Amino acid sequence: MSASKSVRLSAVALVLTLFAASCAVLEKGTDVLNTANKVADDVNTVKTVGEKLRSSFADITEEEEYYIGRSVAAVILSRYPVYQNDALTRYVNTVGNAVALFSDRPEIYAGYHFLVLDTEEVNALAAPGGLIFVTKGLLRRCKDEETLGLILAHEVGHVAAKHGLQAIKKSRLTDAFMFLGTQAVQRFGPQEVARLTTLFEGVLSDIVEQLVVRGYDRASEYEADGLAVKFGARTGYEPGSILRFLKTMVGDKSTASGKGWFKTHPSPEDRISSATKAIAALSSAPRIDTARTQRFAQAIAAMK
Amino acid sequence: MTKSRSVILIVVVIAVGLAIAAAQGLVVKVQTTQLRANPQFFGPTLAALKAGDRLEKVSEANGWIQVKTAAGTIGWIHSSAVTQSTVALTSTNQNLKTQATASEVALAGKGFNKQVEDSYKATHAEVSFVWVDRMIQIRIGLAQVQDFLAKGRLAGLTGGGK
Repeated sequence: MSASKSVRLSAVALVLTLFAASCAVLEKGTDVLNTANKVADDVNTVKTVGEKLRSSFADITEEEEYYIGRSVAAVILSRYPVYQNDALTRYVNTVGNAVALFSDRPEIYAGYHFLVLDTEEVNALAAPGGLIFVTKGLLRRCKDEETLGLILAHEVGHVAAKHGLQAIKKSRLTDAFMFLGTQAVQRFGPQEVARLTTLFEGVLSDIVEQLVVRGYDRASEYEADGLAVKFGARTGYEPGSILRFLKTMVGDKSTASGKGWFKTHPSPEDRISSATKAIAALSSAPRIDTARTQRFAQAIAAMK
Repeated sequence: MTKSRSVILIVVVIAVGLAIAAAQGLVVKVQTTQLRANPQFFGPTLAALKAGDRLEKVSEANGWIQVKTAAGTIGWIHSSAVTQSTVALTSTNQNLKTQATASEVALAGKGFNKQVEDSYKATHAEVSFVWVDRMIQIRIGLAQVQDFLAKGRLAGLTGGGK
């Protein structure tokens, strides 16, 4: 083998080694890994090796998700009054933070926060970014801390799986990314802010429509139930409590149930069947504990 | 191919390789968090971290990443708190670049941000953020969660992680 040939072979080996190492951690960009020569010939294309341009809901940044979530939460709070009971709010936040800590997304931009809504409607809503609401009507139907833990874990599941962000129409997201992309490293002027605000309003309307009016698709709800079982059991809550809760809702025709959760969620019967499978898949399931049932009763007792 | 061209190729390849290797750092994506002594939420912390802080990955285990900070401290962070960064990858050909990546938007603090929220508020007086701001202020510390778990005889106390 000649010296120059061996040098060339070494170069190719080096290229392959570097790419093998880098590909393992790069999320995207395999499209440009066609040949080592292509990259070697044009260093400029390295930009697209590092990270693909933004194209889907998954590319929304953590901070953007937080700001979208804040406004979605504000819109929800313009429709429902807050139930002001500091002790109860703190208790719900503690249960919620406990299950969030055992979720697949324990860290989120500004943390998980929970509020109780002052309505007898049975409902729970999760805005992107970890701002979660549960109604008084739903709390009344919880028999114990296990049930509350599993319901909050279901909402944390929606956040962890970014179901809210998936509600944003694809075309709207494409427009937003195109606009934000060209402006990203510049300072926004008044015209840019006005255009961005219009795009932002569209994003909010897509999410609120899905959360409050239409509901997620069945697959997302089953996924959130599966995550509730997983996160709840990891925390130490008895996962079967979600089944007991859903069973109490079968055939419920009360006015409070006709709205909210029951309008936007699949039937309790179908969810029971799906959640049962998720529970069966657990290697072991925690049991209910009286210490928790007692503190739940105490927290709920003051609720008027 | 002449010998000198081979050498140039090697130099280019090494430069590209190093640029890509540099891109394998991590950036904190949550507002604030802690560098922890062990791969678990409960226990001693080593340093406060904030959004945009750059970290170097050392190893990985069960949803936790062992990292090294710019100051050289080695500790653990949950994978949900960081994102891959693309540092030092600036294209010299602007024709290739008509859009920004998520990392660039995040690091520039642009995108849907406070400025956009303020503009939205200005045109939507009917939507109040008072309770949103109060909600964000409700903070349950890790020590309180740990105490709550213990008193409720809940969970293995490791916390978080796939």
